[in-house]
Parts: sequence; C-alpha cells; structure tokens
Amino acid sequence: MRDSLLTAARRALPVMATLTTLSGLAQAAPVKIGLLETLSGPQASTGQSFRSGVRYAIDKLNAAGGWNGQSVQLLEYDNQGGPAGASDKLKAAIADGVQIVVQGASSAIGGQITEDVRKHNLRNPGKEIVYVNVGAEAMELTGEKCNFHHFRFTGNAQVRTKALVAGMKQAGTLGTKVYAINQNYSWGQDVERAVVDNAAAGGYQVVEKTLHDTNKIQDFAPYVSKIVASGAETVITGNWSNDLLLLMKASKAAGLKVRFGTVFLDQPGNVANAGDTAIGHFIAHAFNPEAGGAESTRFVDDFKARTGHVPVFVEPQAVFGLEMVAEALKRTKPQGDALDVNAFAKVLEGTRIRTPMGEVSMRAADHQVLMPMVVSMVTKDAKYKADDTDMGFKPVKLFTAEEAAAPVQASCKMQRPD
Amino acid sequence: MDTFVFALLNGVIHGLLLFMVSAGLTLVFGMMGVLNFAHASFYMLGAYFAYTLQGIVGFGAAVVLAALLAGAVGVAVERWFLRRVHHHGHAHELLLTFGLSFIIAETIKLLFGNHPVDYRVPASLDFAAFALGSQQYPAYRLLMGGVAIAMFAAIWALLTRTRVGIVVRAAIYRPRMAEALGHNVQLVFMGVFGVGAALAGLAGAVAGAFYTTNPNMALEVGVMVFVIVVVGGLGSLGGAMLASLLIGVITSLAVGIDRSIADLLATFGARDWAEGIGGLLTLKVSSLAATIPFALMLLVLLVRPRGLMGEEA
Repeated sequence: MRDSLLTAARRALPVMATLTTLSGLAQAAPVKIGLLETLSGPQASTGQSFRSGVRYAIDKLNAAGGWNGQSVQLLEYDNQGGPAGASDKLKAAIADGVQIVVQGASSAIGGQITEDVRKHNLRNPGKEIVYVNVGAEAMELTGEKCNFHHFRFTGNAQVRTKALVAGMKQAGTLGTKVYAINQNYSWGQDVERAVVDNAAAGGYQVVEKTLHDTNKIQDFAPYVSKIVASGAETVITGNWSNDLLLLMKASKAAGLKVRFGTVFLDQPGNVANAGDTAIGHFIAHAFNPEAGGAESTRFVDDFKARTGHVPVFVEPQAVFGLEMVAEALKRTKPQGDALDVNAFAKVLEGTRIRTPMGEVSMRAADHQVLMPMVVSMVTKDAKYKADDTDMGFKPVKLFTAEEAAAPVQASCKMQRPD
Repeated sequence: MDTFVFALLNGVIHGLLLFMVSAGLTLVFGMMGVLNFAHASFYMLGAYFAYTLQGIVGFGAAVVLAALLAGAVGVAVERWFLRRVHHHGHAHELLLTFGLSFIIAETIKLLFGNHPVDYRVPASLDFAAFALGSQQYPAYRLLMGGVAIAMFAAIWALLTRTRVGIVVRAAIYRPRMAEALGHNVQLVFMGVFGVGAALAGLAGAVAGAFYTTNPNMALEVGVMVFVIVVVGGLGSLGGAMLASLLIGVITSLAVGIDRSIADLLATFGARDWAEGIGGLLTLKVSSLAATIPFALMLLVLLVRPRGLMGEEA
C-alpha cells in the first residue's frame, strides 16, 4: 500500500520535468542529451550533484556554439533511485529522441541502463543511442557487460582502491592490517575484491571483510565492534551517503583509532557532520583544486560563478566526462542534418582532453576513461574548506592517468559495429 | 566475550531507541485506531527543531523544547486535520497522514537542504562511559537508553496509576460512555496524539545528534518502526518494548555471525553440495543483518497475526 502510493506520487514528478523541457522542441531536431538521474527519494542529493556538473558542461558547450550550429538540448528524467525506474525513463527518453544518455549515481542503475542500451541498439540498427556513464564504478560495466555504446568517464573500484592504497602507503599511514567494509552490491563487492588484490602492492594483510545492506542500517556500532576485534589499522570502504557517515560517527563514538580510506568522503555534508572525526581520513577522488595550478583555479572560479559553489564530490568528474563528449561532438561531422551515433562513438573512443588535473583519454579497448586520481587527506590546513568548516581536503599525491590506470579486464569482449 | 557483551549492549540500546519512536505510534493506534504514517516525520521534526534551537538555548533545553514543539505540531495536526476527516473513516485518516509525511519531508528539504545538517553530540557529552578491552563505550548511548527507559516508565505509570490514565483508557474502550460521564473525549484524543508526537520528537532530538539529521531520517526509521509495532502487536506498549529489544539485539548479534547455511550443513558433510548450489546457502548471516527484522515480521504475521503481545481481535 505504502509503496504503491509512493511510486505513484514519484511518478508524477518527472513527467512535469519532461513537459517543461519539451517546450523547446519547436526548431529542427537538435542533439538531445538525456540525463537519467536519481532526482527524488533518499539518494536525490547524489543525483542532483551529477546534474549540476552535467548542466554546467552543457551550458559551456552551448555557449561555445553547440553542435552543427544549434544548441544541444539537455532533457532531465528522474529514475527514482532504482533500476526499474531507470528502465522506464530510458524508454521515455528514447521516445523523446534522446541520442546520448547520461547517468552516474549507483552501479545497480548503471548496470540496468547499459543492458537496456545494448538491447535497444541490437534491435534498432540505425537508431543507436550511447550511454555516457559519469559515476557508476562497478567493474562489470567495463568487464562482462562492456559494450560498444557504453563509455565510463569515472574511475572504477580497481582504480580508486589502487590509488588509495598507494597514496596512503606513501603518506606512511596505511599500516599492515586492513579491514574492508562495503555495501553488498556490485560496487561494494568490487571494492572488497580490489582491497584484496592490492594487498601485495600495499604490503598489508586483509584482516577481515564485511558486506552489509546498502543505506538501510542506522546503527553501525555492531560493525565497529567487529573492526575493533580484528585489530585493523586502516579501514578501506567504498561506502557512500549515510553508510559512510554513520560508520565514521560510530567509530568515533567507540574511540576507534583507525584511518579510513574512502571514495566518497567529499559528499556535501559529510565533513561538517563528521566534525573532527573526519581529520586524518583519506579519499581518492577525481579532482582537488589544490592539486592543480592556475587552470584549476580558473575552473573552480568559473564553476562557482555559474553555480554558486566550488565543484566537489562527483561534479568535477561529470564536468570532465561531458567535456570529452563535447570534444567528440565537435569532431563528428553531421550526417544529413543529424548526429550519427556510431560515428560519434568511434570518435569518442579516441578522445583526449586536458583537464586541470592532467591528460584524460578514453581507452578504446573497454571504454574506460584513463584519468588522473588525487589522493587527499582531511586536514585543517587545506586551501579549500569543505562544507563551511575549518577542514578541507589536502592533496597527498596526484597520480597521472597512466599511474592510476588498471588493466583492461579479460572478460570484456567488445562487439564493434562495422 | 568482550565482543559479545558489546554486541548485546549495542543491540539493547538501539532497541530502546527504536522503542522511543514506536511507543508514540503504538499508543496512538491503540487509542485512536489511526495508523499514523506521519509518525516518523515527527521524529525528524524533533531532530531539526533541536538542531535549530541548539545554538540559541543550548543542547539540553533544545532537546526538551524540540519534543514540546513536535508535540505542538502533533496537537495541531489532530485538531485541524485529523478531526475533520475522522468521520470519513480510517482510510481517509491514513491518506491524510501519508500526505502529511511527504509535505513535512519536502518542507525540511526546502528549508535545510538535501544534505545532512551539522547536528552533533555536544562536546560535554561526548566521552567514553567505560572501556572493555580495546573498545570504549560512548556515554551518549547510555544516555539514550536511559531516556528511553525513563520514558517507558513514565507512560506506564501515567496510564495505569493516575486518574488521567483512567480517563484516557476509558475514552478508548467506551468513548461514548466516557463522554456521557462528562469527560471531553475530543480533548483526550488530541492530548494523546500530541504526546505521541512529542515522544517521537524527543527520540529524534536525542538520536539525531548521535546518528545523522537528514531529510531521509523519517524514511530510514519509519519502516523499522512499523515492523516493531506489527511484531509487538498493534496498540501494545509492552509489545513495542519487547519487539524493539528483540529486533535490536537480533540485528546486532547477527552482524557478528560470519556463518552461512553451508557451514551448518557442513556438520552433516554436505558443505560441498551447498557450496555447489551457492545462492542463499552460502550467504553469510552478517550480510543479512538488516533483513532479519523483516523475516521476523513475516514469521509473526504467519504464526501469531496479532503480534507478540497484541490483544485478541
């Protein structure tokens, strides 16, 4: 009863959003980019972060002239935080003429979209669509599920963990006993595997591994007891949202002295809410303004001028991803008056741009982006403060795209169109 | 042994916290027959009220005021909303509270944003109560447990030992008779609803500082609270207490069990067979910890639909 009402209520929202964007349809078909993001429900804040990054990049693309003399249109769809909603909204997007689908929050949703896109393209030759993945980091998306029309513009579990381990080892805080605690779905399981895989390189032993339900647990005290019992010095976790915050708060309350190696500590609200608990913890992220030079400052200032805040969390990676899309669009000639998606995808495969963090390029073999990774630590002397606190992320080490890269997975057998 | 003691203590305290929220829900249901979907929203309101007031009046006073404010909102909801739709029946009341829960959540998002706010345990309460082995136990958790127990005792005494309690109980079982005897039944209902909301607000104000205060906290705790009320028996305060403790302790202990059904089958020499099948048989109990309460609810509904301590329908 409650659920069906809930979905009914949520369903009404995206329809309205679509209607408002449809009003700009009058002129001859411009390229349509569909953002299929979690814009309502408990994880809406993550989806909205992706959205602000994507909007910024599209605005910039249009300010530079758009494509084929027309502005590129951004249509937004609310996937309601689940694969089923994403599948529904993908159909709606295709019906609206969207050729490029963008999504980032949750690998579970990403897994659904990439499969749906693959099937659609098989069944509708000549009307292909391409999936621009700006945040789903599970390995399978560039592994078993890899397909020609999926492009990942963010790291993945192996890339993040490798950078995190190397950065923390270099900072001398990794220790020899590591505990892996993760959310029990594709992404969390991949991080757990990556922690085990990196044991030799990091010179540590994985004392214990835990998988738990995703964003359903309120009380992390029992898990912290387990960490204490294991004698771990470092906890590596791919947790995001409440699962990360509650885990850190529970550790603090139990007086647990461990370092956390994280991927999503820079989500807005985390540092403020964790308070001093956050100090000394690490993150592997795509961008830290302090790690770049003048170009970084320019990007941060421009982003701030347009959106009102410094780019954090997943915003930079979404911007860089869409900048690569823009670059590839620029180099794709229109066929008739329209965009040939296969031709665009072939250009995208070889796209290379410079971001404030360094060279970023797409790897054609599995469509995994090769991007620099920054490992940062929360301190009080960081240049850019997080969440209006006196703390911020101080870069420890900037890895170039080559250093951060993880090898192509053997399971990726990509079928290319002729 | 240390680990076991901690797991038990963690479970009991978390259970007590869940009780604080579910007490109001079960109380209102028992008295008015209204299943209040907005109940967890009062929990969230309590946390946000306390967060806002904390800077002005200090933590302790903020918690008390937050509970009172949440209660006041509850009273207003009963007086100007629920009472109007009461004669249309329970379905309308249910839908009303359901809609209300959305309005409250969206209002919070508008005012405070989508991200967790900076509401934390004050430094003066942020210390370890005791340590066992290498693990400390936060004093604030004990405080949360203490508040819950005090609350349980207070309601219990109020309902069974005072004149007010007699009137309230009379108004529930025989509302017309109580009215004929000169008691203002409408006022009693309003009071009960307000007290229920205040209890949830108190729980939110206390727990919001320890966990997180964000616009989803009503959703997070709401589902579990319904499970507790169903398991304990709708309308039974004692049942809610029992079910809260049960769910708290079971979840906490389950986290520590890294065993699967395959391990159990190994005693019969069937491990290889079980691992060959995989799936549910090789799933560790610890990874299912958050699912166990729902399995418990299913079990209770199947074998004892009225709940552990619910009254015979």
